[in-house]
Amino acid sequence: MSDHDIATSAGPAWLGGVRDSLPLLSGYIPVAVSFGLVATQAGFSSLETLAISGLIYAGASQFVFVGMVASGAPLWLAVAMTLLINLRHVVYAPNLAPWLPPSRWWPWLMHGLTDQVFALAHARLPQLAERQRVGWFCGAALLAWLSWIAGSLLGALAGEWLMAQWPLLGEVMPFALPALFLVLVVPRFTSPRWTLALCVCIAAALAFTLGGLANVGIPLAAALGGLCFFTLRAPRLPGGQR
Amino acid sequence: MSVELWIALLAGALGTYLIRLLPLLWMQRRLRHSRERAGTESMPAWLGVLGPMMIAAVLGVSLVPRVPDATGWIATLVGLAATLLTWRRTRSLGLPVIVGVATFGVMTLVRPMLG
Repeated sequence: MSDHDIATSAGPAWLGGVRDSLPLLSGYIPVAVSFGLVATQAGFSSLETLAISGLIYAGASQFVFVGMVASGAPLWLAVAMTLLINLRHVVYAPNLAPWLPPSRWWPWLMHGLTDQVFALAHARLPQLAERQRVGWFCGAALLAWLSWIAGSLLGALAGEWLMAQWPLLGEVMPFALPALFLVLVVPRFTSPRWTLALCVCIAAALAFTLGGLANVGIPLAAALGGLCFFTLRAPRLPGGQR
Repeated sequence: MSVELWIALLAGALGTYLIRLLPLLWMQRRLRHSRERAGTESMPAWLGVLGPMMIAAVLGVSLVPRVPDATGWIATLVGLAATLLTWRRTRSLGLPVIVGVATFGVMTLVRPMLG
């Protein structure tokens, strides 16, 4: 669906959100299945795994929480690490706020504001009419949340069997995430200044991940990219565009 | 699961929710104030830059292949190129992702032959 189509398409807005978030599923489900498997192997029941995925709903921090609890770490430390990893989410809602029309639903919907849903919403909400935005976000966030819960349950109940049957699927499907993020980032390459800053950010995040610092790497790389953006002098163009 | 563990889980869940919610309430209040006082900058410039940077950072993190050997990187690069080319042609969201995953899948399948 093109940018023009999404702004003018008929039909319920929530359905548009569901449709737009479909690519997330091929990234979410394999990771959620892995989490379900890891959680049950760490001694958590299916119900407990379900509760962690449904309530915390933040991929990387869930793995850390389960791993720390299983290794006998103090519970306060497991909670502190969970929150530290998720701290990067603080900048997501303020970035979306200018496109959120007044609605009592937004506070509840913030539970679904993951990295991926933020990236999707940041690109899509400005293209939608105001009246469509709550419905769109509801459809996108709910599908992502339910797929994460369903994947975790599947992993808890049949993860071992699934991984043995289709080992390649677990390797291939998560590629949907970098592919999706690429499609969301590419339209931002609007000037040499933005291009350089974004490339610095992507390269820094990649380097942090290779160095085993994926979670801390996200805010650090974003800060480096931002620093690069503000350090670079924008060339003065006749039209005033930067 | 013990009561203590349930409390820890709920604390982690509530804390994560508040990390997502409270900045929204702060920004909404700021936007309301800026509407009342015309001319006030509604959104700090750094915040507008940080949004796209966070998406770029998540892209960077997700680029590392599950099997980070030479063929894994080649499969990633070819998959990204296919995604990008499809996006340039269609300017859409879903199709480039499907083509990217399919290309990456084919590259992963032929990897044993390359390696």
